[in-house]
Amino acid sequence: MTRQMKLGAFLWATGHHIAAWRHPKAHVTAGIDIDHYIQLARTAEAAKFDMVFCEDAAGLREANVGIASQTSRSIGFEPISLLSALAVQTSRIGLVSTASTSYNEPYGLARTFLSLDHLSGGRAGWNLVTSASPIEAANFGSTGLKPHADRYERAREFAEVVTGLWHGKLGASGHDGRSFSVRDPLDLPRSPQGAPVMVQAGASDVGRDLAARTADVVFTAAQTFEEAKAFYDDLKGRLAAYGREPDDIKIMPGVAPVVAETEAEAREKHEELQELIPDDVGVALLSSYLSISDLWRHPIDGPLPELPESEGMKSRQALVIEQSRRDNLSIRQLARHFAGARGHWRIVGTAAHVADELQARFEGGAADGFNVMPSYFPGELDAFATLVVPELQRRGLFRTEYEGRTLRDHLGLKRPV
Amino acid sequence: MHLAVSLNIAAASGQAILDFGQISSFVRKAEAAGVDMVIISDSADKPSSSPFEATTLLAALATVTNRIGLVAGASTLAHQPYNLARRFASLDIISHGRVGWNATLRQNPREAGNFSRPEGFSDDDFRRRAREFINIVRALWIGWGRDALLFDKAAGRFHDPDMMHPLNHVGEFFSVRGPLNVARSPQDRPVLIISDPAEADLDLASGAADVVLIEGQPSEALKVAVGDLKRRAAAIGRKPETVKVLATTSEPGIDSLQALLESSGCDGFNFVLPADVPGLHSFADRILPELRRHGITGQSYRGAALRSHLGLAGGGDQ
Ligand SMILES: Cc1cc2nc3c(=O)[nH]c(=O)nc-3n(C[C@H](O)[C@H](O)[C@@H](O)COP(=O)(O)O)c2cc1C
Repeated sequence: MTRQMKLGAFLWATGHHIAAWRHPKAHVTAGIDIDHYIQLARTAEAAKFDMVFCEDAAGLREANVGIASQTSRSIGFEPISLLSALAVQTSRIGLVSTASTSYNEPYGLARTFLSLDHLSGGRAGWNLVTSASPIEAANFGSTGLKPHADRYERAREFAEVVTGLWHGKLGASGHDGRSFSVRDPLDLPRSPQGAPVMVQAGASDVGRDLAARTADVVFTAAQTFEEAKAFYDDLKGRLAAYGREPDDIKIMPGVAPVVAETEAEAREKHEELQELIPDDVGVALLSSYLSISDLWRHPIDGPLPELPESEGMKSRQALVIEQSRRDNLSIRQLARHFAGARGHWRIVGTAAHVADELQARFEGGAADGFNVMPSYFPGELDAFATLVVPELQRRGLFRTEYEGRTLRDHLGLKRPV
Repeated sequence: MHLAVSLNIAAASGQAILDFGQISSFVRKAEAAGVDMVIISDSADKPSSSPFEATTLLAALATVTNRIGLVAGASTLAHQPYNLARRFASLDIISHGRVGWNATLRQNPREAGNFSRPEGFSDDDFRRRAREFINIVRALWIGWGRDALLFDKAAGRFHDPDMMHPLNHVGEFFSVRGPLNVARSPQDRPVLIISDPAEADLDLASGAADVVLIEGQPSEALKVAVGDLKRRAAAIGRKPETVKVLATTSEPGIDSLQALLESSGCDGFNFVLPADVPGLHSFADRILPELRRHGITGQSYRGAALRSHLGLAGGGDQ
């Protein structure tokens, strides 16, 4: 069979565009409406998506209350409870939730995801993140955000313990490490899919190494084909060092399509969303990903200032700086661009155009699939499912039926022994 | 009177393990019989045999039931207060206000060993930590004002900034800024249940819990225990009827239960059920109808929220 792309539906309350909630067709109470999410998961399942995917943060996304109150991001469902509810309301689609290695313990997290895996009959995945925000850190002690290297050191041990527990490979003496100690094997039966799927988001040098060591799927952000290709080759190239093969990891960059029947309609829809972004909200969002608190002090129509290397999200900071230089963008332009999908790739156009673009990156060896980030819900997920998916299927690029039952089946991943 | 059933989902060794279909069909029968709530246990001091962790199971049950209250056990050792508070707030929204947290106050040595605390805590440290933990969770639950969410698309005002209150807690064991990133839940606060409090936990139980479960004991002793809890509640200015005492029993002799209810002043009973299919069938098909015949259950639910079923103060729809 020819290689087909993997698709994730990245759910995020009212939508991925920072101003999505203000769109007339966005479901504004999404963050407190479980039926809305059940509907989205069923839409994605009917379109044969590999998985739904949820982000997470153990705290607010924005520290400034005035700014936060102009966005919808301060409230939402806690994703593990959300996906557990979706597990019994769907039957085939994978269910992947983000959870932090910085603010959990491996035994509890391994147990919780395994329970989700049992509830769903082998459809669970864990997206490992190390949490880059000082706002989250303040909910877990008084010492502030730990340095990037320390967070990843903890993450490496965390991942080792979790996979050891899932694979039943924690020795008789348990685990006694630098950050964690665990005495017993997990007290739940083995996963229906061997082990839940390991996803990772985080693309700095240490992040890539950790992914090469443990991840089944990598979620990443890339703007240009060249960036995506470089990341893809680099990460696949790191696998051999861990005794793994290139196909053992699926690389799925985020993509934020704005799609409509005609090119003009798509552009109009995009403009309509861009019009809804208050400048201070856009600049604040950009600042948080750059890990800089005083970006607003710089002239908004001037260039991005020189920045010290981030202790937050190193990979995203680099991506933004690169884009600002490449396209010679002012802070205002950069902020408006960034507000659409937080630095992920945007495609505006018809289904054929979107499919062309995805096909080029997929066949050009820059992606194994995509994590689709609709601008607003439910409309833009519906548009992707009804316009783009059939186009991809016509081209033989995407499945028309699920091949198996578990998330590992969908992704074509080996079952761990 | 109030009726709860505690479902110990971990089967004894040699028994068949309950699957989701069996658990949900039992819970739906209990719902049809008007049971106030089902309490799902979590990890015990011996290895579990269940495929499920309690809070994830609860979320799934919430989508296949409509009225019955759903309570999960979760220990203060296995979680961080911020994470636990948002898990339960989220569950309360998913269930439309039917969720409770059974805060386990016993230090479980297995848990300490698996959660990077090989040496555990001294009893006294554990108790102070649990108390601080529970108070943080309760405070986080009401960090958003009731009408904080505006959803005003035109004006660009999603929420009212003045109705979002950080916690800024700095304590002996935890430091938590808050607020929660989950909206205020339908019940304001999910129902807090404390089971079998030791002498030293009685102030916490009578001060913070909505429901206190006490181990089955002879009528006289039960009466003393119930009276003590209600007196302590009154002493700190709570209405004694806002602390519900459900006595825990495993042996449902109906006549003696009625007598116990009258003599002890407790508010209801909590039946502890084993995790085996015949046991659940027998409870649902034999005991529940008998309780109904005696008028102990069978009244329809008063509202949609667990707080309403229990006649508790706070949010919900009473
Ligand atoms: C595509 C992508 C998505 C991410 N999503 C989340 C998320 O939902 N929650 C979170 O806390 N961190 C998220 N992160 C960031 C992680 O927390 C990451 O571990 C952070 O420390 C930055 O990693 P890096 O410097 O290796 O890029 C994401 C990172 C990437 C690249």
